[in-house]
Amino acid sequence: MKRIRYPVILILLLTAAFAAEDELQFSVERFTLDNGLTFLVVERHTAPVFSGYICVGAGSAYERIGDIGTAHLLEHMMSKGSRLIGTTDYEAEAELMVKEDSVWAKIDQARRATRRIRLGEPNKLDAHLKYIEKLEAVLDSLTATSSQYVIQNEFDMLYTRNGAASFNALTRYDFTSYYVSLPSNRIELWFAMESDRLKNLVLREFFPERDVVSEERRLSVENKSNSKLFEQLIGTAFIAHPYQIYWEWQSEINNLTRDDLMRFHDMYYTPQNLTVAVVGDVRLQQVKKLAQDYFGVIPRRPDPNPIYTVELEQTGERRVELLYEANPAVFISYHKVAYDHPDDPVFQVIERLIGQGRTSRLYKSLVLDQQICLDISVDVFPGNFLGDPHASAFNIYAYPMNGTTTQELEQAIYAELDKLKTDPVGDKELQKIKNSIDAAFIWEAYSNMGLARILAFSQNLTHNWEYLKTFRNSMKAVSAEDIMRVADHYFTGTNRTVATLIPANSGGGTR
Amino acid sequence: MKNICLLTLIIMLTAPLLFAVNPREMKFPPLQFEPANPVRFEIDNGIVIYFLEDHQLPVFSVTGYFNGGSVHDPKEKLGLSDLTATLMRSGGAGKRSPEQVDLDLDFISANTSSDADKDYFSISVSALKKDIALCFEIFSDMLIRPRFDSGKIALELANARERIRRQNDDPGRLTRRVYYQTVYEGHPYSYYPTLATLDNITEADIRAHYEKFYNPDNCILAVSGDMTLDELQSLLATYLMSWEKAGVSIEAIPEAKPKYRPGVYYVEKDINQAHLCFGHLSMDSKNPDRYAMDILNFAMGGGGFSSRLMMQVRTSAGLAYLVGSYLWTRPLNGTLFGYCQTRADAMSQALRMMLDIMADVKAGGITREEMDLAKESIINSYVFNYDTPSKIVEARAMLELMGFPSDQIKKNLEEYRRVTLEDCNEAARKYIDMENLAVVITGNRELFDKSPETFGTVTAVSLEIK
Repeated sequence: MKRIRYPVILILLLTAAFAAEDELQFSVERFTLDNGLTFLVVERHTAPVFSGYICVGAGSAYERIGDIGTAHLLEHMMSKGSRLIGTTDYEAEAELMVKEDSVWAKIDQARRATRRIRLGEPNKLDAHLKYIEKLEAVLDSLTATSSQYVIQNEFDMLYTRNGAASFNALTRYDFTSYYVSLPSNRIELWFAMESDRLKNLVLREFFPERDVVSEERRLSVENKSNSKLFEQLIGTAFIAHPYQIYWEWQSEINNLTRDDLMRFHDMYYTPQNLTVAVVGDVRLQQVKKLAQDYFGVIPRRPDPNPIYTVELEQTGERRVELLYEANPAVFISYHKVAYDHPDDPVFQVIERLIGQGRTSRLYKSLVLDQQICLDISVDVFPGNFLGDPHASAFNIYAYPMNGTTTQELEQAIYAELDKLKTDPVGDKELQKIKNSIDAAFIWEAYSNMGLARILAFSQNLTHNWEYLKTFRNSMKAVSAEDIMRVADHYFTGTNRTVATLIPANSGGGTR
Repeated sequence: MKNICLLTLIIMLTAPLLFAVNPREMKFPPLQFEPANPVRFEIDNGIVIYFLEDHQLPVFSVTGYFNGGSVHDPKEKLGLSDLTATLMRSGGAGKRSPEQVDLDLDFISANTSSDADKDYFSISVSALKKDIALCFEIFSDMLIRPRFDSGKIALELANARERIRRQNDDPGRLTRRVYYQTVYEGHPYSYYPTLATLDNITEADIRAHYEKFYNPDNCILAVSGDMTLDELQSLLATYLMSWEKAGVSIEAIPEAKPKYRPGVYYVEKDINQAHLCFGHLSMDSKNPDRYAMDILNFAMGGGGFSSRLMMQVRTSAGLAYLVGSYLWTRPLNGTLFGYCQTRADAMSQALRMMLDIMADVKAGGITREEMDLAKESIINSYVFNYDTPSKIVEARAMLELMGFPSDQIKKNLEEYRRVTLEDCNEAARKYIDMENLAVVITGNRELFDKSPETFGTVTAVSLEIK
């Protein structure tokens, strides 16, 4: 049964009091099931469609060395179906999966033994390698055998057949999310499908999917100069905190097991760690009933492990180079505070001030006036719109024009940042930022999916979606003095990491 | 089916945690949906307007579409359309210098864009309702009184050159470009600006290009948002009525015909994947067989996880993250192509698998189940093409610009419904051509499992920046 707690009612009353100055044209209903799962619902009857957005309060930052990639591979595997969806005979499949896992364990063990055999018993090496090959063939044949029971991609097909749009999932550092838009008469299908995969997940076709994730890394990081440079930047800026790992490495992906995934799932995919937002042509009463029917039976489990790690204090500038077959770029990172620190809204304002729009400081100065830069952008990393749950970073990405060195570009960026420390931002410029905060707040609510996403994120991060408003108000309260103080405190050489892409054909070394 | 129902029953009885209802068994009636019908009217100077009121949020958006497109750029001045479109936004407008336009638009957080597509031009602004008059003023200045500031022309030319210098950095974009350059050989669809063509562009060219295409009698506006028709009409009267008709004549560009040599086009790049893109010219955007072909392609590789290419190359073999096929119908002849990226030592394995799937579809067609799935998906998701007022007016404006009748949205849906399995399989035989494939392979051949020559005569593609 649903239970409405006092704080919820209190917050709703407060909302009413603030409604006059709140430009949002919709009302958000919140309820929490007994198992701790929180729902946010917005009725919008403009078109016969709705978006469902599920936010899990854990992402890649919650992995540990040895099982890096778990959150991402699990996100992929969540679309493989359940004990019912995706199979003609779950029992038969389950037996084969146990066999697959035990063969994989043997392969893993044998691969680890290879080095010892090569050094200690070289005469046995050939036989050992043949043994591994044989095991690999057994694993392949088991996968082939189990495929006879698999209804491939049935989970996706059910959504597709019913007219789903934007069906996808996303793994970030602090969140994993699952979302889809459907015609509104399919509301119950959505509840059935989403609750089924949470309750009855089956990790079928595991080994090929591991290869898919490995291919995704090649595509998205290894052969993409921006991502590759970014990986170096973040890996250098963070020594201790898990934000250091931009993307799971091949060495980790290739050794993940079903057990790794299920451990992560059991630990973090708990009702109290999930937020669900439903926005569109739906009725609150129906959503409440369906929520109870489909999600109410998921048992509450112990609270998941938090991240205790705090990033080490930086003790001097760090620099890293990437020699790569691409044109030059320079990426710069400064450590910053987490979302609940009073300086965080100031960073969000600085991001807009120097990095958003043609009149923003860096674009205007480097691209339009000095003409030494093709493009420049700024973000608050990892870039959740409310700031990040852990002390994170403020990043600048710049691409020099031919004839400008990355050092010259870097110096020009520092000159702009230094101005923030000494010259107060004028009233008109500050007003421009405040206008953009208001406009963004309104546009974010334009689409069902956009609204569902921000609601789910903010509820999951702060346990109170209305923090959106608090956050907006704290950004709008930022003063010229705040900007000077924060710029002076954080934009220092000691707090800086710089990653430079040097074209491989230039012979390397500092240009 | 019975077994499954029984299993469900047993599970439901023994484990109360499990399914309330089996999603597989759920049936839903078709969605009753008809997109709102926008107001369409024309003002004296020839501008056609599509308009829908939408008071949900205090915002509006307006987009102007123009016949033309970069296919009209002279071959020695490629890049002219892009530059002109960019400069209409960035080169100053009316009484405002380029800097003043930026300041005024950024201050109110207006979003703008101006683009030169191959087949048309577009320019748009969206912002908060309270700033609508200022936005219309600047928007109309951009359209009617662009300044083309010479300093900004030099800057945009320099930026265009820098983007060309960087055009081979990303293997995905590189592969796609080489594919289009190959299959559309000799046709403007294959043309991309070079450092040399940018050098030929003068301020006079930009002004002449603007005069030729950006005229009220060549313009369709799509307007939606928080305003009434009266408000819109008064804005049009104030800002756009004075724009004088020019009598537009745009020469026809011939359809693209295949001129390339079928075979392999090898792009050498030192990466650890092979980027693959293979296909041929297909059909234009008014071909009556496009509905059948669209459904066929959905089953082959266009329908994401429900398609054969995705299931076999990704789900079963684990060879790719992105894999599929794309049917792009275009006004002057479209193209059908398959694409994927795979680890370098699986290049031939993946390419062989994909070619076999395409050949199978040509020879044997698709199954009824595949067709039903594709049709249901297209029909049931149709609502998402028109679920916001801005999508509706933009779609209607584009359809009129491209010469479709006013009931095309409805007609499309009926046509998809009418497609039969025979239509699909006839389309497969007629429009898939395994003998005339251009196969683009980007990567390092030393790492491939088999040589590119395995798949035909190899032409090496030069990456020299010219």
